[in-house]
Amino acid sequence: MNENDKPALSRRFLAPAAGSAAAFGALVFGARSASAQGADARATLAGTSMIEEVKRRNTLRVGMSTFVPWAFRNKTGELIGYEIDVANRLAQDLGVRAEFIPTAWDGIVPALLAGRFDAIIGGMSITPARNLSANFTAAYSATGVDMAASKRLADGMTTIEAYNRPNVTLTGRRGSSGITAVQRLMPRATIRQFDDDAQSILEVVNGRAHAMVGSVPRPLFASLDNPEALFRPFAQPLVRQADAMAVRKSDPDALNFLDNWIMLRQLDGWLEERQAYWFGAREWRDQVPG
Amino acid sequence: MLQFALFLGLLGWLLVDGARSMGYNWQWYRVPRYVVQVLDGEVFLGPLLKGLLVTLEISAYAMVLTIVIGLVAAVLRLSASVAGRWLVVAYVEAIRNTPLLVQLYLVYFVLAPVLGLERFWAGVLCLAVFEGAFAAEIFRAGIQAVRLGQWESAWALGLTRAQAYRFIVLPQALRVILPPLAGLAVSLVKHSAIVSIIAVFDLTNEGRNVISDTFLTFEIWLTVAALYLCVTVTLSLGVGLLEKRLKGSAA
Amino acid sequence: MARPGPGLSQLDREATGGPYARWRRGFGLADGAVLALVVGACLLLGWRAGMALDYRWNFAPVWAFVVRYDTERGWVANLLLQGLFTTLRVSFWAAIIAAILGVLMGVARTSRLLLPRLIAGFYVETIRNIPPLVFIFVFYFFVTSQILPALGVEDWIRRQPPESLWWIAALFGPPQQAAGVIAAILCLGLFEGAYVTEIVRAGIQSIAPGQSEAARALGLSRAGTLRLVVLPQAIGRTVPPLAGQAVSLVKDSSIISLVSIQDLAFLGTEVSASTNRVFETWIVVALLYFIVCGALSLIASRLERRFAAHNR
Repeated sequence: MNENDKPALSRRFLAPAAGSAAAFGALVFGARSASAQGADARATLAGTSMIEEVKRRNTLRVGMSTFVPWAFRNKTGELIGYEIDVANRLAQDLGVRAEFIPTAWDGIVPALLAGRFDAIIGGMSITPARNLSANFTAAYSATGVDMAASKRLADGMTTIEAYNRPNVTLTGRRGSSGITAVQRLMPRATIRQFDDDAQSILEVVNGRAHAMVGSVPRPLFASLDNPEALFRPFAQPLVRQADAMAVRKSDPDALNFLDNWIMLRQLDGWLEERQAYWFGAREWRDQVPG
Repeated sequence: MLQFALFLGLLGWLLVDGARSMGYNWQWYRVPRYVVQVLDGEVFLGPLLKGLLVTLEISAYAMVLTIVIGLVAAVLRLSASVAGRWLVVAYVEAIRNTPLLVQLYLVYFVLAPVLGLERFWAGVLCLAVFEGAFAAEIFRAGIQAVRLGQWESAWALGLTRAQAYRFIVLPQALRVILPPLAGLAVSLVKHSAIVSIIAVFDLTNEGRNVISDTFLTFEIWLTVAALYLCVTVTLSLGVGLLEKRLKGSAA
Repeated sequence: MARPGPGLSQLDREATGGPYARWRRGFGLADGAVLALVVGACLLLGWRAGMALDYRWNFAPVWAFVVRYDTERGWVANLLLQGLFTTLRVSFWAAIIAAILGVLMGVARTSRLLLPRLIAGFYVETIRNIPPLVFIFVFYFFVTSQILPALGVEDWIRRQPPESLWWIAALFGPPQQAAGVIAAILCLGLFEGAYVTEIVRAGIQSIAPGQSEAARALGLSRAGTLRLVVLPQAIGRTVPPLAGQAVSLVKDSSIISLVSIQDLAFLGTEVSASTNRVFETWIVVALLYFIVCGALSLIASRLERRFAAHNR
C-alpha cells in the first residue's frame, strides 16, 4: 500500500505544476496581449485618423459649396472667401496644401461620410440632425438665420406670424439650416428649395416668392444689392447659430487637433479679423465681377 | 431561363452583400412614412406619392401641348410657306442642339417672368417646347407616309387642303404616328424630372428634399427610381400592346 | 429620338400633298402671315420684357468669364471655356465606353441564346425607363463612394510626380477633380450605352436574314457570319444614328453638373451666381452648347447622306 499512497514526486506535483505554469503563462501572455490589444487599438485609431491621412497625403481635401461670402469665385475663376481663408490657413499650419472640392450643399454630408474629402469647411451650422451623422468641431463663427423679403409682395410683413400662412412662399437653399428653421417657425408657409442662394434670391427679386431665408449676412448683402426689390423684415436673426467644421465620426485625434487650432486662431485674433473683412464692409467687392 | 434566374440571383446577392459591406447604414424602416401614412384609418399620401401625382400632372399637360406644337410645326414644315419651313427648321435645330437643362434655365429665368408664368406652367412650357421638336418630326414622317393616292382622291373629291388633312390624311397618318408618339410620352415622363431644378414639387424634388432632411440617400433614391419605373414600364407596356393592335388592324 | 432629320433642301425637292402642293420659291400670302406672326411675337415679348423686368442687360462680365486677358500669358480660357473643355472630355470618354458597351450588348441582344438576350434586355429596359437625373444621382454616388475608393484611383493620382500629371490634365482635367470626372464618365457611358445598344440591335436586325442564311450555306460559322457578313453591313446602318446619339450624349452630359462636376452647366450656375447676370450667362452657355452640338449634327447629317448613298 505504501507505493500506492505516495506516487512519484514528479507525478504528484505534475498536475498542480502544469496547472500553475499554465495559469502563470496565461497571466503573463494574456495580460501582455490585453495591453498589446490596447496598443493595437490606439495605433489603429491613430493610423486611420484624418490628420494622419492628411499628413501622409500632403493635402487637405476640403468640401465646400459656393456661398457668398464664405466661398465663391473671383474674376480669374479662383476660389476666395472666408472659409477659403480658414482652410488655407489650417493647411498651412498643418504643413500641407489645401485642395477644394466644390460639392452640392444638399449632398455634402453624405459625400463627407463617403470619404470624398477630409472635412467640410464651408459655413456649415451645427444642428442636431447633422450631428447624428457627422462630428463638429468647436464653433468658430457665430451667425444666424435671417430673411430678405420682397418689397412688392411682403410689404409690412415684419412678424413671424405674418409669414406663417399657406399663401406665403419662402425660398432657400436645399439642405441649409435656414430651411430647417423656417420649417419649424413657419410650418404653414410654402417652402421652395433651390440648389443655391443666388437662385432663391432671384426668386424673391422676380416677385415669385415673398422672402428668402439664409444665413447672416447673405440676406443683408442681398438687400443691399437689390435695394429696390428687397428689404429685411427682421432686425434680429430669427435663430442664432454657430458654424463649425464637420468631420467623420469616431476620430478623436482630428477633433482634438481642429478644436485646438480654432482656439488658437481665436486667441490671436486671426479669425475675428478675417470675419470682419469678409462679412463687414465688403472691400472685396471689386474682385467679384458684375 | 434557369440561367437567367441564376444570373438575377447572383446580381441580387452581389447587391445585398455590397450593400452590407458598404459601411452605409441602411435604414429602410424609415422610408415608408414618406410614401404613405395610415393614421386612424385615414390614408395620408406621403411627400413622395404627392410628388408622383405632380409629375403625372405636369406630364399630362405637357403631352397635350406637345401634340399641339408638334402638329402645327409639322403642317407648317410641309406647307407652301418658305418662312414657315425655315421657322420650323430653326426651332427644331435650336432645340435639338441645346441641353434640356439649359433650355429650362432660359425658359424659367428669361421667358417666364416676361410672360408672367408661374413655375409649374414654366415647367410645362419647357417640356412641351422640348418634346414638341421631336413630335414635329414624328408627325411629319407620319404625314409623309400617307400614300400619294390619298391626296389625289381628296383633290378629286373637291376638299380644301385643311379638309383633306382633317378627314383623309391625319386619320391614316395616325397609325404611323401613334407608336413613336407613345414612346415620346415615356420620354416626357422621364424628362419631367428636370423641373425639380426650378423647385416644382415633383417626385424628384420631393425625393431630394426628403434626402436633405434625413440623409437616407440610397433608400430614397431607390424608392424614387422604383416609382418612376412603375409609371414608365406601364406606359411602355401600353405602347407595346398598342403597336401589336395596330399591326393587327393594318394587316 | 437621336436620328438627324433630313436637311431643308431635301424636303424642298419633294413636295408633299400631291395636287395640293404649290411650290413657290418666292414670297406668298402664307409667308407674310408667318412673318407677321413672328415679328409680332418678338415685339410683344420685348415690350413685356421691358415692362415686367426693368433689367439692365450687361454681357461684359460674362464674356470675361469665357476668355480673359492675363497680363503674363495673354488670352487665357476662363471658367466657361474650361467648363466646355470638361464637357468635351467627359463626352469623348463616355462615348467610347458607351460604344464598346453598346456593341457588346447589341450583339448579345440579337444572340440565339436566351441568357445574353435577357441580360442585355434587362440592362436596356432598366436604363431606358429611369429618368437620367435619378440614374446619375444614384449611380454617381455609388461609384464615388464604393468603386473608386476600392480601386484606389484617387490615391494613385495623388502619388504621381507632378511632371507626369500633364497627361492626366489633358485627358481628364485638373488632377484633383480627375477622380470625380472618371466616375462621371463611367455613369454617362453606362447610361448612353443602353441607347447605343438599341441602335446596334436595330442595325443588325435590319440586315436581311437572307444574308446570314447565305453565309451559313457557304459554310461560315456563326461567329464568322457575324464578323464577315453582318457587321460590315450593319456598320453602314448604325453610323448615322450613332452620330446623332453622340449629339444626345453631349447634351445629356449637362446632367453631371447636378453632381458637382465642373462642366459647362455647373460653371454656368457658378458664374451666374458670382456675377448676378443670370440671363446673359445662360444665353452664352446655350450658345456654346449650340456651337458644339450643331457642329456634331452637321457631321451626322453628312455621314447619313454618305452612308445612305452606299446602301442604295
